[in-house]
Amino acid sequence: MSGPAPMVEVRGVRKSFGGVEVLHGIDLTVAAGEVTVILGPSGSGKSTLLRAINHLERPDAGLVRVDGALMGLRRVGGRLHELRERAVLRQRARIGFVFQNFHLFPHLTALENVAEAPVGALRRPRARARREAAALLDRVGLGDRLDAYPRQLSGGQQQRVAIARALALSPRVLLFDEPTSALDPELVGEVLTVIRDLARGGTTMLVVTHEMGFAREIADTVVFMDQGRIVEQGPPDAVLDRPRHPRTRAFLAQVR
Amino acid sequence: MSSAPPAAPLPAQHAPLNDDFAELATLPVVPARHYGRWLAGALVVVLTAQFLHGLATNPGWDWPTFFDYLLAESVLKAVWLTIQLTFYGTALGFTLGVLLAVMRLSRSPVLRAVAWTYVWAFRSIPLIVQLLFWFNLAYLYRELGLGIPFGPVFWTFETMHLVGPLAAAVIGLALHQAAYAAEIVRGGIIAVDSGQREAAAALGLPKARQLRRIVLPQAMRGILPNAANEIISLFKGTSIVSVMALGELFYQVQVIYGRNGRVVPLLMVATVWYIVLTTVLTVVQHAVERRFARGAEREPTPGPFRRAREALQRPPWAARLARRGQAPPGAAPEAPGTPEARAGGAR
Ligand SMILES: Nc1ncnc2c1ncn2[C@@H]1O[C@H](COP(=O)(O)OP(=O)(O)OP(=O)(O)O)[C@@H](O)[C@H]1O
Ligand SMILES: [Mg+2]
Repeated sequence: MSGPAPMVEVRGVRKSFGGVEVLHGIDLTVAAGEVTVILGPSGSGKSTLLRAINHLERPDAGLVRVDGALMGLRRVGGRLHELRERAVLRQRARIGFVFQNFHLFPHLTALENVAEAPVGALRRPRARARREAAALLDRVGLGDRLDAYPRQLSGGQQQRVAIARALALSPRVLLFDEPTSALDPELVGEVLTVIRDLARGGTTMLVVTHEMGFAREIADTVVFMDQGRIVEQGPPDAVLDRPRHPRTRAFLAQVR
Repeated sequence: MSSAPPAAPLPAQHAPLNDDFAELATLPVVPARHYGRWLAGALVVVLTAQFLHGLATNPGWDWPTFFDYLLAESVLKAVWLTIQLTFYGTALGFTLGVLLAVMRLSRSPVLRAVAWTYVWAFRSIPLIVQLLFWFNLAYLYRELGLGIPFGPVFWTFETMHLVGPLAAAVIGLALHQAAYAAEIVRGGIIAVDSGQREAAAALGLPKARQLRRIVLPQAMRGILPNAANEIISLFKGTSIVSVMALGELFYQVQVIYGRNGRVVPLLMVATVWYIVLTTVLTVVQHAVERRFARGAEREPTPGPFRRAREALQRPPWAARLARRGQAPPGAAPEAPGTPEARAGGAR
């Protein structure tokens, strides 16, 4: 691929659960500063792919490289050694992950949620981490809810805290797994606005979403997955308006 | 509980459908009367009064002897020993229990097996049997040594010196407690949503911190009520070490009534102390539970002290007076994001 250096490279990634293969050798490249949107029917392996990228699931085969660093492996001479959990955790701190169900820490305030990883994973001084966390929450429009606990926030606000929490590690890549699908329709907009701003700011992102209009608007590349394979990929207008693969056509006809 | 406002005529049972709503809204509402409840309440009060009267007047209770011994030095010493046994038993027991719980949840089959076996063994052996084993340790092993396993020994101790009766009791109680604590802690940990662990891992938090900062504080909510049960039951269970002739509270009162024959008042001395200390533990439990309930409810309930202070500042009769002829309840504006709503979440 020409153009900017790749930020995320996925090569031949396979993953099985209980003998059933759900990713059949995925190849995918995301250039630095690009936004890639992953579409596909339920069960097609979108979440599993994102989780394999940050090694929440270890792939059974294949390689993932993020910003030049091989995930979960280390090259020693002519071999690749599996990294231990501790090292993988360090690698993960460079990848932001936003979950469908937020998974905020309910016993910590919004501010503490955001400041947790900088202190715990990057060993930043607490005062500095809290200052930066407050700034991040302000950026996602929650500067006045720093001391609220997650349960005291609306779904959209919770997801914005989760985005701020992912941003607090100054990640090289942000992975979003259906960030709006647990939200009421009127709350979707506020979350998409935040993601849109990040996209404009040049953050590399992989976004799984079912919001077609949003996908078209922010995506540099749209990837369509079906049954554990990438069926089709390309610029949004090509994939969304003139899909070549029948599966893509059938899927798009359905969601429209 | 409010006193009944003056009775007023109720609207007719079958009011015509086109009855004027505005007029209905002006009629006072008479609260339902619970005659059965009042009767039962009165009965309980009478029975309680009778019981208390019996306590005070029946000479068999021998209150003078009770008061002689309640604060006697020997009794206080025994109470202190009971507290120590409970404290060390709990502290060591739960420390080991957390360790065992984490081992049982680890990915290492060896650690899992060891923890499982421990829990199995120590829940199978009656505490009293175990205590007697420890007490007789010197009989099994005259000396204990510290050194390389199967290799040279660097230090040796006389078992008798190292494991006196107090140490034997603490070890026995702690080992026993650890088996139960392990299961309680494990239960709390597995009840925490696995997404929490995953989110912590996605943020790259080190394992130990995931556990200490994310999982355990949430697990504590489930652990605390059970742990409090265990501690209170251990506290009273310390009376079992009287088999080792250790002068804890129960042993001490037995010694005293063995000497003077005043069984009932001395049992009351022990009972009162157990009640007092259990009450203290219960209050502590309540406070600790509140501490770990942070963020668990949308609107946290104020603590007992705050409630009491507010009640004193604004007694119920004042509230009732204020309510007369005021806006209907629920009319207060309640917008999310107001400063009050936020203050509710602040620590
Ligand atoms: N931990 C697991 N154990 C067993 N099977 C799993 C596990 N995780 C995922 N799967 C299976 O893998 C397949 C892909 O799942 P995945 O969650 O990646 O789909 P998805 O594309 O994200 O779907 P959705 O749009 O519904 O979120 C599904 O068939 C699912 O049942
Ligand atoms: Mg999914």
